[in-house]
Amino acid sequence: MITEVGKDVVLPILKGFLLTGKRLFRDKSTVMYPEQKRESYPRTRWRHVLARYENGLEKCIGCSLCAGACPARCIYVEAAENTNEERYSPGERYAMRYEINMLRCIFCGFCQEACPTGAIVLRSDFELADYQREDFVYTKEMLLEPMPVQSER
Amino acid sequence: MAAAANEPQSVILTINDIEIEVPRGELIVESVKRIGLEIPIFCYHSRMKPVGMCRMCLVDVGFKQPDGSVRMMPKPQAGCTLPADNNMVVYTDTEKVRRDRKGVLEFLLINHPLDCPICDRGGECPLQNNTIFYGPSTTRYVEIKRHLPKAFPLSKYVTLDLERCIQCGRCVRFTEEISGDSQLAFRFRGAMMQPSTFELTDFESRFSGNVIEICPVGALTSAEYRFRARPWDLQTKPSICLECSNGCNTWFDYRVASLVRINGRTNEAVNEEWTCDKGKFGQNYLNSPDRLTEVFVRDGDKLIESNWATAFQQVSVAFQSAGSKCAALVGGKASNEDIFMLKRLFTEAFGSNNLDHRWTRCLPKSDALYRVATSIADFENEPVIFVFGNNIAEEQPILFLRIRKAWFRNDAKVIVACPEACEADTFAHTSLRYRPGTEAVLLGAIHRAATGAGGVDIAEASSITGVGEEAIRRAADAMKSGFALAASRSLLDLRNGEHVVGALSNLTIACNSSEKYNLFATSANEEGARQIEFMPSAEGKNTREILEACASGEMKALWLLECDPLSLSHDNELVTKALETVEFLVVQNHIKSECVQFASVLLPACAFSEKDGTYTNLERRVQRIKPIIAAKGSAKPAWKSFGELLLRMKGDPPPFHAHEVMQLIAASHQKFQSAIYENLEGEGVVIPANQSTEPQAVDVEYTAMEVPSNTP
Ligand code: SF4
Ligand code: SF4
Ligand code: SF4
Ligand code: FES
Repeated sequence: MITEVGKDVVLPILKGFLLTGKRLFRDKSTVMYPEQKRESYPRTRWRHVLARYENGLEKCIGCSLCAGACPARCIYVEAAENTNEERYSPGERYAMRYEINMLRCIFCGFCQEACPTGAIVLRSDFELADYQREDFVYTKEMLLEPMPVQSER
Repeated sequence: MAAAANEPQSVILTINDIEIEVPRGELIVESVKRIGLEIPIFCYHSRMKPVGMCRMCLVDVGFKQPDGSVRMMPKPQAGCTLPADNNMVVYTDTEKVRRDRKGVLEFLLINHPLDCPICDRGGECPLQNNTIFYGPSTTRYVEIKRHLPKAFPLSKYVTLDLERCIQCGRCVRFTEEISGDSQLAFRFRGAMMQPSTFELTDFESRFSGNVIEICPVGALTSAEYRFRARPWDLQTKPSICLECSNGCNTWFDYRVASLVRINGRTNEAVNEEWTCDKGKFGQNYLNSPDRLTEVFVRDGDKLIESNWATAFQQVSVAFQSAGSKCAALVGGKASNEDIFMLKRLFTEAFGSNNLDHRWTRCLPKSDALYRVATSIADFENEPVIFVFGNNIAEEQPILFLRIRKAWFRNDAKVIVACPEACEADTFAHTSLRYRPGTEAVLLGAIHRAATGAGGVDIAEASSITGVGEEAIRRAADAMKSGFALAASRSLLDLRNGEHVVGALSNLTIACNSSEKYNLFATSANEEGARQIEFMPSAEGKNTREILEACASGEMKALWLLECDPLSLSHDNELVTKALETVEFLVVQNHIKSECVQFASVLLPACAFSEKDGTYTNLERRVQRIKPIIAAKGSAKPAWKSFGELLLRMKGDPPPFHAHEVMQLIAASHQKFQSAIYENLEGEGVVIPANQSTEPQAVDVEYTAMEVPSNTP
């Protein structure tokens, strides 16, 4: 009886402690989020960004191909024409309105794949929680990359 | 076989080893459709003559020899210019054909900018589609492409991107063969060949919008639609156009509940596939901030926003106290259902018969003068056509296209009488340019020349009208053995309109053509209002009498449905006085018009894109519209509000759906029985004409009218 208890109960417990004890001295795989963040893989697909060229012009030409490719139908693009006085992108056309409904997005990256200019890219910012539903509709202003800092010569 | 003699001869040919019988002379590109195949094309268009410009339609062709073997032609043939013949053997999908197609597309793409992402045609582009299905997947062309102006404004509607043009010639041929204005032509040769207007003037045409639709690439695009959406952003529903009385079928493309563009929809009996620019570009009022979307009632000098219940309350009090001293006038954009329910409201609840839909100066009682006997499609086969009065290309543009087609395809003799230069002159057998006001005299002279009696002396008429004697005789010669008349009810706006129309009727009777007499409606549902008899009966007042009674204070209440008398009537002074004087004025419209300022109650109505209903076009074709976008604000279909008012005043159960209203119409107007909603899918239904007795000649004064210089 005693031997049986020792074998079926005490031994496994001791084994468990032994394992934990051993692991105590290994490197930890958890990080102290949010103070600490893990490095993400280069092809991680999280929050979208509308990229700019080095000269500051928007890459997006308002072609709506991303909206057409999106399986969640969460992108809305309204285009308009560039003029020489008011130029947003190279060429004739730019996106006047660009919205993504982040609640519907499934982060599949099809938009990125469809984009002929590499304008919409999914980057690594994954902290997308918010309080209001309305705030999940990301507008063009929120998505656009900040103007590149002009490098000093 | 006697029956076969009349039928077009047929031939037997083999397509992809399948034997089929087709009419002799049918083009291969059409024949293959019979077995469910398709040959890729660019320049071929079934409504225009084939030219063989793009070589996209190449097929392998051979002939069966008497010994049973097949001898193939050494080179591929263009399927769009090759008529089917006996013993012909066609292959549409051999290795050779596939290689040729790849080659053709590769050539076309050499000079194509491939800016599909920003091209308005991208997504619905035949060049994209053909390239995906038949083209090469990579390019071998690394040199610099041809560069030409982009976004060149051909007119205020059409933008030309020369880089994208593949020189198929469709646009050029359209202006030559269909619209007839010959505005576009090719300049230069070879790679630099480009369609343009003569000396780069504005592309002036009533039909320019069509070239946008038939251009197989994004070279011709709409200036209004430019960058507003991509095809996959749009939702599309069938609709009809209300800009004139033709009732063209359209596709209504919308995005986020607002209209983006209008395209032509095929209805062989009406507009084939064309639209006029008025219809294609003239519908922006739907998105206008001037739309009437809320109920307003008058409070002293101001109109204050209110609700339907208050408005109904005020309306029923005012109209009940007015007794039979109330009237209703409608405009051309009210549907059959609206008109019928308004008529019911007035006859049943208000006990008034002062109803009218006509806005012309003369309002003849005779129904015979308003006859329409010939359908739009029938005009195509008429040998002699007499176009009389105003510029038909402006009033009934699509009917104009049919008449031009009758001349272009079937050599019809078209006699054009118009006081000003007009498009129809370009193909007229005889063109009679008379002095304004002398219509009746001219008709009298033609009458005399055609019959040798009646009418007026030709020499005298010639000096009054300014039309040469020779021309009058020539016209009369062509017309005397019968003709189809194309005239519009705007003739009744002339001071002696009744006489002019009477003279037309007499002329048709004299030339044995009274069954081809047509006096066409000018606004979308004018004919519908006529068929529903939205007109004063014996004791009722007509438009002019109503306005006069309003101005004198005798009429107590007036209801204006979808009309602005200030723009419709010739007598603005009378209208202003009438609207100022009448005690209670209801204005019900989808848009704020000028007469809003006089209204006691302002009721919002749904525009055609927001309601269910039917419209009757000039040939009495009843066509259905369905609600496409949601009603704005508290607007509702006018017929619904009349039903509710009837319920309030008489306790009649209101109809809940437009098809119930149509059943009511059919119950009280026999001829609408074929037009119940189940029958209206497709091309619509032409309702029969009023049974009328043999038209009688009327007494006419063949005299000229003084025309004040400011009215035409
Ligand atoms: S990642 Fe996928 S779901 Fe999200 S916006 Fe792009 S295409 Fe749409
Ligand atoms: S993000 Fe790319 S695909 Fe989307 S509209 Fe802009 S350019 Fe087109
Ligand atoms: S503009 Fe369009 S329709 Fe005209 S020739 Fe060029 S490709 Fe053809
Ligand atoms: S379609 Fe036959 S040559 Fe263009």
